[in-house]
Amino acid sequence: MIAAGARVRLIAVLIVAAVLPCRAEDAISGRWEGSARIPDDELTVIVDLAQQNGAWVGSIIIPGLGVKGTPLTDIKVQSPDVSFTVKSPLGIELNLRLLDAEKKLTGNFEQAGNHAPATLQKTGPPQVEYPPRSTPVATELEGEWKGDYEMLGYTRHVSIKFANHPDGATADFVVVGRKHNVLPVDLVTQEDDLVTVDSREMGFTFEGRLRDGKLTGAIRQAAMETPLVLMRAK
Amino acid sequence: MTMKISGILILFAALCAATPINAQSMFRGDAVHSGTYTGPAPRQFHRVKWKFPTGDRVISSPVFKDNVIYFGGDDGIVYAVDAATGHQIWKRATGGPVPASAAVADGTVYIGSYDGKFYAFKAQTGALKWKFATDGERRFEAKGLHGWQPKNQTIADPFDIFLSSPVVGNGAVYFGSGDGNVYALDSATGDLRWKFKTGDVVHASPALADGVLFVGSWDSYFYAIDAATGKEKWRFHGGEDQTIHNQVGFQSSPAVVNGMVYTGCRDSNLYALDAATGKEKWRFFNDLSWVITSPAVADGKVFFATSDSSLYHVVDANSGKPIVRQQGKAYMFSSPVVGSDVVFIGVLNGTLEARDPKTGDLLWDFKVETSKQNNGWVLTGDRKFNVPFLFHSNWREAPLVATDQEIRIGGIYSSPLVVNGVVYFGSADGFVYALE
Repeated sequence: MIAAGARVRLIAVLIVAAVLPCRAEDAISGRWEGSARIPDDELTVIVDLAQQNGAWVGSIIIPGLGVKGTPLTDIKVQSPDVSFTVKSPLGIELNLRLLDAEKKLTGNFEQAGNHAPATLQKTGPPQVEYPPRSTPVATELEGEWKGDYEMLGYTRHVSIKFANHPDGATADFVVVGRKHNVLPVDLVTQEDDLVTVDSREMGFTFEGRLRDGKLTGAIRQAAMETPLVLMRAK
Repeated sequence: MTMKISGILILFAALCAATPINAQSMFRGDAVHSGTYTGPAPRQFHRVKWKFPTGDRVISSPVFKDNVIYFGGDDGIVYAVDAATGHQIWKRATGGPVPASAAVADGTVYIGSYDGKFYAFKAQTGALKWKFATDGERRFEAKGLHGWQPKNQTIADPFDIFLSSPVVGNGAVYFGSGDGNVYALDSATGDLRWKFKTGDVVHASPALADGVLFVGSWDSYFYAIDAATGKEKWRFHGGEDQTIHNQVGFQSSPAVVNGMVYTGCRDSNLYALDAATGKEKWRFFNDLSWVITSPAVADGKVFFATSDSSLYHVVDANSGKPIVRQQGKAYMFSSPVVGSDVVFIGVLNGTLEARDPKTGDLLWDFKVETSKQNNGWVLTGDRKFNVPFLFHSNWREAPLVATDQEIRIGGIYSSPLVVNGVVYFGSADGFVYALE
C-alpha cells in the first residue's frame, strides 16, 4: 500500500527518469563550435551531431586541416559523455563531456597519438553533411574492363570490374605495376555517361566516359594524372 | 749522401701524395667520401659534451682539423669552434645561408654560400684569403613540382636543402653550383682552372679518386670528369620524371671505393657504377622513395637510408644484395657514417641514431629539445612525420610552409662526424651538438 503522496512522488520520479535521457540526447544534438589547443597552435573545430532513426550521425569541419563535412564514425553517446572518430587518414578521435548547463562539450582531441584539450560551445541546430553514395551503373558497364597506362617509366595494367547491387554499384579496382595493388573502393558513380571510381584511401581515382564501347578518361594517382582507355575484358 | 736525401724526399713526397689530406677534414671524411672514421666511437651515450648555438638551422656537416670543428650555418656564418670545449674561435659572415660543409686543407677553410660565392678563409683566424663568384645559386625548380599546384607554376624545391660541399686535391678545390656548373679553382689563389656545364643544379658534392671527379646533377645524369682538364670521361643516365619532376636528379653525393662509384638518386635507386667506365653494376630500387643520403662504404658493405619509406639499409658492395633492413621512424637525408663499431645517422624527426654495423639494431638515440616539444604536432605520437596533418593541401605555399614546419622540429640533415670518441652534428634547431 502506497500512500497517495508517495504515489505522486513516484510517478513524478518515473516521468523525470523517462524524460532525462531524451533531454540529454537533445542537449548533445546540435552544431558545436570551438577549438583544440595543440602546442603552439589552436585548431578551429566544428562538429554537427544529430539522431537519425534512433542512431547518431555526424560530420566535422576543421578549416586548418582541409576537413569539411567529413563523416563521424563510432559515435558513442552515454550522457554526459560523447565520443567519435573522424573518417579520414588524419586519425582524429574526440572524447568529450557535456558540461556547463548543457551548452559546453570539453575533453580530449586526439590525432595520430597526440593529445590536446578541446572545448566546444553549442551554437545552433545540427547541419550534418552526408557522404556521397554509390549510384547504380548502366547494365552495359557491368563486368570487367581493362587497360594500360605508363607512369614514371613503366607500364601499369588496370582492371575494373563493375557490379550492381540494391544500394548502388561496387567495383573491384586492381592496378598491377611493380606490385599487385588491390585498391579499396569508396565510391562508384555514374552521371550520364561519366563514370567515376574512387579509392580515397589509396589516392587513386578513375574517371571516364562510356563512348563507342570504350571507357575513355584518366587515372589520377595522388597528384599525377594520365590518360587511360579501358576496353571490355575478353 | 745527396742521393740518400733525394731518396728520402721522394719517399716523403710519395707518402704525402698517397695519404689523404685528413680523414675528417672534409665532407664524408675524405676525398673519396667513404663516410668511414677510424678511432673510437661512442657505442653508448653518456652525455652531451657541449652544444653550440647559432642564429638559424644548421644543415652543414661539421669537419675537423687540428682540434677545431668547422661548419656553416643557415644564418650565413662560417664557424670555427673548439672541438673540446665548444667555444667559438672565430666566425665569418657570408652573404647567404651556408648549408654546405667545409673542406680544410693547407691552413685554409673552403666553403660555398647561397650568396653565389665560394670562400677561402684562413683556418686559424678566419681571415678571408679569396672569394670566387659563380654564376649564382638557385634551388632545383620545376613546374608543378611534386604535384603541387598550380601545375604550370614553377616551384622551387624545399627539399633541395644542401649546397655542394667542396673536395680538395691536386692543388685545386672542386664543387658544384646551382648555376649547373662543376667548378675547379686553384686552391691557393681562387683562380678558375675550368668549369664543366651540366643541364641543371649541382648540389651533390663531388668525390675525387685517381684524378677523376665524380658527381651527379639534377639534369638526371651522373658525371665522371677528368680533374686536371675538366673533360667528361663518361656520363650515366638516371631516371627521369616529366610529370611531377619528383623522381629525378642526383642529390646524394657519391662514394668511390675499390673502383666502384656508389650514389643515391631521387629516382629511388641506389646505383653502383664502374668508376672506370660508368657501366651500371647493380641498382637497389626503393619503391619511389628518394635516396638523398650519401652512401658510406666499409668492410665490403654499403650503408644508406631512404626518405619517405624511412628505411635503413646495408647491402653487399659487390652485388647489392640486402644484408640489413631496419624500419626507421622518419625520413633520412643525413648520410650515415661508419665508426669503428657503430654507425651514426641523423633523422629528420630530430633524432641522432647509433646503430650496430652488423645487425642495424638501435644502440642508442638522442632527441633534440624542439623535437621533444613537438610544436604544431609535426610528429605523431610515435615520432613519425604527421603527414596528413601537415600536408593537407598542395595549393599555393601550403606544402612549402609544411616543409618548413618539418624542418623546424630540429631535423638532423647534417652528416655526423666522429672524432676521438665524440660524435658531432648540426640540427635544424640551430645548434651543433657534441655527444660522447
